[in-house]
Amino acid sequence: MRLLANLALQNLGRRKARSLLLIAAVAIGSGVVFTGATLMRSIDDSMAVGFTRLGADMMVVPEGALTNITAALLTVEPTDLVLDADVLAKARIASVARAAPQKIARVEHSGIGSHHELVDLIGIDPALDFTIQPWLREKLGRELQAGDVILGAGRDAPLGSQLLIFGKPHVVYGKLGRTGVGTHERGVFMSFATLETLAASMPQRPAVLAPGKVTGFLIELAPGATSLQARFAILSAVKGAKVVTGDSSLSGIRQGLAALLKGILALMVLMFASMAVMVSVLFSAIVTERRAELGLLKAIGASGAQLIGVMVVEAVIATGVGGVLGVTLGVLVMRLYERSLVYYLDNIGVPFVWLDLPHTVAFAAAAILLAAAIGAVGALYPAWQASRRDAYDLVRGEG
Amino acid sequence: MFACRQVGKSYRTERGVVNAVAGIDLDVPAGRFAAIIGRSGSGKSTLMAMIGGLSRPSAGTIEVGGTDVWRLSETALAAFRNEKIGYVFQFASLLPTLRLIDNVALPAMLGRRQSTAATYTRASGLLDRMGLGGYLDAYPSEISAGEQRRAAIARALINDPALLLADEPTSDLDEQTEIEIMDELLAVNRELGTTLVLVTHNLALAEQAEQIVHIANGAIVA
Ligand SMILES: Nc1ncnc2c1ncn2[C@@H]1O[C@H](COP(=O)(O)OP(=O)(O)OP(=O)(O)O)[C@@H](O)[C@H]1O
Ligand SMILES: [Mg+2]
Repeated sequence: MRLLANLALQNLGRRKARSLLLIAAVAIGSGVVFTGATLMRSIDDSMAVGFTRLGADMMVVPEGALTNITAALLTVEPTDLVLDADVLAKARIASVARAAPQKIARVEHSGIGSHHELVDLIGIDPALDFTIQPWLREKLGRELQAGDVILGAGRDAPLGSQLLIFGKPHVVYGKLGRTGVGTHERGVFMSFATLETLAASMPQRPAVLAPGKVTGFLIELAPGATSLQARFAILSAVKGAKVVTGDSSLSGIRQGLAALLKGILALMVLMFASMAVMVSVLFSAIVTERRAELGLLKAIGASGAQLIGVMVVEAVIATGVGGVLGVTLGVLVMRLYERSLVYYLDNIGVPFVWLDLPHTVAFAAAAILLAAAIGAVGALYPAWQASRRDAYDLVRGEG
Repeated sequence: MFACRQVGKSYRTERGVVNAVAGIDLDVPAGRFAAIIGRSGSGKSTLMAMIGGLSRPSAGTIEVGGTDVWRLSETALAAFRNEKIGYVFQFASLLPTLRLIDNVALPAMLGRRQSTAATYTRASGLLDRMGLGGYLDAYPSEISAGEQRRAAIARALINDPALLLADEPTSDLDEQTEIEIMDELLAVNRELGTTLVLVTHNLALAEQAEQIVHIANGAIVA
């Protein structure tokens, strides 16, 4: 009813300072929760992408092979030395969750780039690979098939265009994002089958292109397994191999961030709970202060629902406005800190991706609704209690 | 109009049980003007509140227009207060955040039996009749105590109540204002046939009533 809603609004206006403080408190609370939730989800998503892209925990290559260890990425370097493709599968090592074999052939006169350019042709097993395909930034709308190649970010050719390698036509299936690692940037990736077919056209065939041979394996550790365990297991099972471990600090960062995010979540829940308690305390005081008016409303025939309605509407307006304000503030703060946050995460190798718009809007709506709900719940009990008292006791200021 | 049977009200206080009203039997026929007199603290307001559906008796029954008031459900009781009773309190009783016109219209708006336009027309008519035609948009804090009391009477009348309960509506007002307000109440009683129960300390006023109820220590004295 308009008059009752009016009454609720006027009551808020009557104690401007108190109403503003309440709105400010709710704004801070819901702003923190909204910002926290949005950032948390964004960081979580970024890390999910970032860490799957970070590739392998370790790699297995022939003894004597050169390796390239960067902060973020383990990559196999071309070499004449080879391993048998099935050594790891045969050994069945418990501490290894996934092992992705790669064949790398460095070739000249391939027809790609300038005449004498050395090109790395990298064969992957699409079913086992977990370090190359996560970097696919764009690709054709179908599965990788024979004759397809994937280009590193450093190479330029439109998707779907034809690429002649040793005179044989290939289709550019996809392109990788920037990794900052040379072999990836200028590499030409393809399935083992494609690479083996191509080998027939090469003037001299590198040793690794022989069937059943690989340049090395990229390894993902089983959950809970240490790299030390895996290293010993692999070295004792595979002759003539060496194990190269990546930067172990990254898995530390991953675990640390996960714990931090859980902590933030717990804090947010506590924040909302304390907000609910605060609003409830405030409204039981407000109801007490207004019992004469509530009694009067009851005396002239307001029903219990209408009485509770006046108080709850007042609370919901205040906390709802607080929620809207909080979300607005949260958006501003995130805009403000976007640069430094993105920069920091980029530095530790996690490309930051903001939560998508529909999710952000959903979070904002949820924060506002929750704030309003806290108002409703906080005012409901004291209002309900007051509505059950005798009108006359309320009017006289008792009860 | 209403009948009280062995009505009592006791309050539990730290000093023990206070019997504000004890075993009152009272019959007031429809359309009558009754006056309740008695010393301060004798239980007049308590009795009025029980008749008006504002305060639940500790003992006895009260029938208003044939309905046993205190056996009604909460919702039915709210509707009863809204439709059947006009109550004028002993003290200022307007909602401070609403304009006079809104204060007067509020009971009708709660009941929703009339259109808003019709309600507001009626509310402004009543305020006009109480001599407050120029204060429709004023807030209670902007008018005098006597004017507030008159606005409260206008509010009590907005739903055309069958029973008008006025608890010392003219206390702490000057004689001239008291006479004006009393004239209005008596006019309502005579012209509309509204049963009027008036609590007063003014014996001259009480003498105009068709029925005088004298209360002392929570009981009726002959
Ligand atoms: N809520 C309460 N708790 C305890 N005692 C109460 C309560 N309300 C009223 N009383 C007592 O009941 C008695 C009657 O009070 P009531 O207000 O009905 O008197 P009254 O006749 O209207 O007096 P007045 O002429 O001053 O308005 C008084 O003694 C008062 O102290
Ligand atoms: Mg009294």
